[in-house]
Amino acid sequence: MTTALKLRELLRNGIHRIGELELLSDVYGFPYAICHMADAELATEPAFGGLEVHEGPNDARDLSTYGIDGTYRFTKGQVNLKRGWVMPLETEEDLRIALDQFYPACVGLFLAQQGGTLEIEMLRDKLNRQTGMYRFARSISDAGAQKLVQEVCGPAHQCAKKILWKLDPTTPLDDSEASRFNGIPSDLTEAESIPLLCREACNHFVAECRKAAKAEFEAKAAAEKQA
Amino acid sequence: MSIAPKPNSALLIVGHGSTENPDSSTPYFDHADEIRRRNLFAEVHCCFWKEEPSMREAFYLIDAEEVYVVPDFISEGYFTQDVIPRELNLTGPTTTVRGKTFHYCLPVGVHRSMTDLILKRAKDVAPRVDPATTTLIITGHGTGLNQNSTKAIRDQVDLIIAAGAGYAAVVDAYMEEPPFIAEWDQMSPTPNVVIVPFFISDGLHSYQDIPVLLGIEPEVGAAASQREVFRQNPHSLRGKTLFYSSAIGTERLLADVILDQVSDFDQLHQNP
Repeated sequence: MTTALKLRELLRNGIHRIGELELLSDVYGFPYAICHMADAELATEPAFGGLEVHEGPNDARDLSTYGIDGTYRFTKGQVNLKRGWVMPLETEEDLRIALDQFYPACVGLFLAQQGGTLEIEMLRDKLNRQTGMYRFARSISDAGAQKLVQEVCGPAHQCAKKILWKLDPTTPLDDSEASRFNGIPSDLTEAESIPLLCREACNHFVAECRKAAKAEFEAKAAAEKQA
Repeated sequence: MSIAPKPNSALLIVGHGSTENPDSSTPYFDHADEIRRRNLFAEVHCCFWKEEPSMREAFYLIDAEEVYVVPDFISEGYFTQDVIPRELNLTGPTTTVRGKTFHYCLPVGVHRSMTDLILKRAKDVAPRVDPATTTLIITGHGTGLNQNSTKAIRDQVDLIIAAGAGYAAVVDAYMEEPPFIAEWDQMSPTPNVVIVPFFISDGLHSYQDIPVLLGIEPEVGAAASQREVFRQNPHSLRGKTLFYSSAIGTERLLADVILDQVSDFDQLHQNP
């Protein structure tokens, strides 16, 4: 069964949310529609409640590139999606294409997790594969990486993904709001919402690791100079 | 070149991407949209090194059992020879990974049809300028780390000269290795200069960095999509008339080059 058909089954079984998106079925002649979860009620009113209509999946990337404050959404798990629009869709394949623009691969990651085939990538593996200016990121200490998770990840820092990775196979993340977050930026459960899964540290986190590693290196050098 | 439909295969377009510049990945998605519109593949996806979805996440995007991977990169080099094969677990032209068959095509930038795209872009940006009074500069990043990164551009210069396109001079220039693009006026013996950036996107390098090196901008400005007005040609600078085009990868016809690379792969490896 294709990802699109599995997605259709999920919706028939009660799923109606992913991230900040409400997934609507059978709306004014369209099998599917998506909108910001805060606009869910408006979207079911006549003429989609006056929401700006973007028919088909092609505008999904434009709608998700900039946040509600106009800033570039450099990671797709950010909880700052624009409001005021609705996207009616003709097929489950179009729905899947649209969702893969808003939340890249997140439906597939969830299905793989459900099927027991999702492979998780540890932070050290990710950092050790960085090249060029990001190569320095691999020198961050464990303590520095743990601190960064609490300073960069989680809904308090605008990311709604559920972290699945550890520092390495034997070093789990310290307990925190970020490490505990379930990937659902609302009060719904997994019966109603597909969680956003973080199977590998994002490039924003890698960039922050590089900055922190440089700061650690400079602090150590300064301390040795003073000693 | 036409390509037979592949209704049971996926196309995976691989790009660099950026966490800093919102325009960096736009061409890749445009190319994917264009190819998706033609209904040639069961699925068309993009994945990136520095943007989501990552190359390793791409596996979870794909239903098809056969996948054509086309690097939407302008040259063969570190990314196409090391990073992409490593990230996708590719060990040769065709690799089976977790039950899927991946065909690894050559990057778009090395395809012979890029020559026509460069000439089209040069003509589009300066339609009323006589090539006989014009120097055409193809510019790229350049790096001492990998000689291949400049080879694609030097090859294009040779091909354009051999094609007899009529330009008074055709030269290559780079951001970070000689001949430096910052010295564009010194390498141009003509009153008119057309510069085509051999990059996929109007991202940090082609839209923000190079204009500073050319003298068009005093300092690195906002990303293209965050400016109210796209730059206007021509620019009167250093005693010459300069036409600076958008990156070659923003040409919508690059979608055809992606398909050309798939077709070439099948011919080279006798894939049905």
